[in-house]
Amino acid sequence: MSAAIPANQVKHRGRRFVWYLPAILITAVFAFPLYWIGSMAFKPARIVQNYPPSFRFSPTLDNFRQVFDSTYPDAMRNSLIIAVGTAVFSVFCATLTAYGLSRHNFRRKDNLLFWILSLRMLPAVAVIVPYSRMVRWFDLQDTYAAMILVYSIFNISFSVWLLKGFFDEIPKEMEEAARIDGYGPWKVFTDVAVPLVIPGIATALVFSIIFSINEFLLAFVLTQREAVTAPVALTNVFITTFGVNWGGLSAAAMVLVAPVIVFAVLVRNHLLRGMSFGQLD
Amino acid sequence: MSSSAGSFPPDNPQSSPESRYAGQLRAFPWLLVAPTVILLIALTIFPLIYSLYMSLHNFTLGGAKTWIGLDNYRDLLSDRSFWRKTWFTLQITIFAVAIELVLGLLCALVLNKRLRGLGLLRMIVYIPMMLSPLVVAYFWRIMLDGSFGVFTWFAQELGFGKPQWTVDLTLAKASIVATDVWQWTPFVTLLMLAGLQAVHEAAELDKGTRWMTFRSITLPYLMTPILIAVLFRTIDTFKLFEAVYIITQGGPGDLTETLSLMAYTVGFEQSRIGMGAAISWFVVVVINVLATLLIMLMARSRRESVMMAEVGDDE
Repeated sequence: MSAAIPANQVKHRGRRFVWYLPAILITAVFAFPLYWIGSMAFKPARIVQNYPPSFRFSPTLDNFRQVFDSTYPDAMRNSLIIAVGTAVFSVFCATLTAYGLSRHNFRRKDNLLFWILSLRMLPAVAVIVPYSRMVRWFDLQDTYAAMILVYSIFNISFSVWLLKGFFDEIPKEMEEAARIDGYGPWKVFTDVAVPLVIPGIATALVFSIIFSINEFLLAFVLTQREAVTAPVALTNVFITTFGVNWGGLSAAAMVLVAPVIVFAVLVRNHLLRGMSFGQLD
Repeated sequence: MSSSAGSFPPDNPQSSPESRYAGQLRAFPWLLVAPTVILLIALTIFPLIYSLYMSLHNFTLGGAKTWIGLDNYRDLLSDRSFWRKTWFTLQITIFAVAIELVLGLLCALVLNKRLRGLGLLRMIVYIPMMLSPLVVAYFWRIMLDGSFGVFTWFAQELGFGKPQWTVDLTLAKASIVATDVWQWTPFVTLLMLAGLQAVHEAAELDKGTRWMTFRSITLPYLMTPILIAVLFRTIDTFKLFEAVYIITQGGPGDLTETLSLMAYTVGFEQSRIGMGAAISWFVVVVINVLATLLIMLMARSRRESVMMAEVGDDE
């Protein structure tokens, strides 16, 4: 990156700095809503709804205190349990499947792969009606198990594609060498292939967690009390008959956003893969 | 979804050269793949079929159901508000995708420069697409509030009066589009930046005018990322729910209801389960067509990039 600039470009060097201006402008536009809701979260209750809006004020943690005194932390805990449960379950299934699809030639394998991929695009609205009845058959209304199973569809689909890419890159020779050493197929998988795709597994886990933390519509329909997730709680905890607690709502939104931003930074090199269903990179 | 369903199951894997492991090897891939596939079928194909079955029935609140054949679909297709909501969903999709595409491309062209610190700016720009659509909807709901919203104040300062974002239909549409644009332009930028990496060298060294370079070198390379961005965003925006549910609640009246919101309202709030299922089937069919196109396109782009990597002996 820091290589010397070719001679024919030296004279353009000064002009290139002009690009900082639009770049900073663009960044400011995309950062503004985050800054604004962030500042709402620290505003004292009496100025939250000021008009014109106050830009300068002495920040307070009152809104966050309200968030942590409400039922919102329970919803955060539910979200976390569901997200981690989904991630572990779906990445486990996906690792097995991706390896199977990467190493063995089935007939019509491509059709199977595309079918799995297409599930990621399944509109939630298509399944909310049947799911709301199916969870009742199995007595899984409002449970972690139901949410983990439902979210797994989307995450297995994504993780299979992501991990298949990683498995495809392992040289065949490494596995053949292990086989000659007397490893059975399962041991080749667990002792040779899996350790080599740990970065892929970590990426899949992170994206899976982000997906589950963010999802709204399915959780909105399938949870009522016990398994309510944080996005669902956002829609009801701070909205009372006396009106909406906008400061609390902003603080709660920031509490939900903060870990996602950290995760996003962690997987920044795989963002494209992550956002394109594990397909492009 | 079942764009290419029915492909499963295949028969024996190709026979292995090592006869010692042949038996094990034949069963092994099956053990790896089968549980997941069975799970996915149980959780997707089955619900979709069940949803179709429900759409052919009339459910009463007590849970009793009567077979009514295609009546739900007939009623739906002759319902003017259904077509109005379909048209509204399409309008939002077209506006949002078009704006995201243009802005995404412009942002990518700016952020593609090799300047110190731009990596950090890019990371900040990418943040919105990682956030929950529901949280993003609340961000905009707060900023567009009629009494204390910061954008309301901006508009007033700029001499547009005090706009009622969610009362006026045009402004309500614009608010929904703006929310989608803020969240998803970064995704288009990300796709375009990846595409631009491929042309970077060629475009930098070219001596032609900037516009000529863009037309003759950059744009052709970007055709595939552009198509992929369009399909991704079309599929996603067509199922838009959160922004509408939070920002306008479908209002004024039900004029900003998308098909997803309609399916939810009909199926859950009005408990017309059969009709809700019928609406969602309509969404499934539309999205299935789009998804099939997208997947074919991505498969082609993947093949091309593999070929380019092999030819160029990438590092």
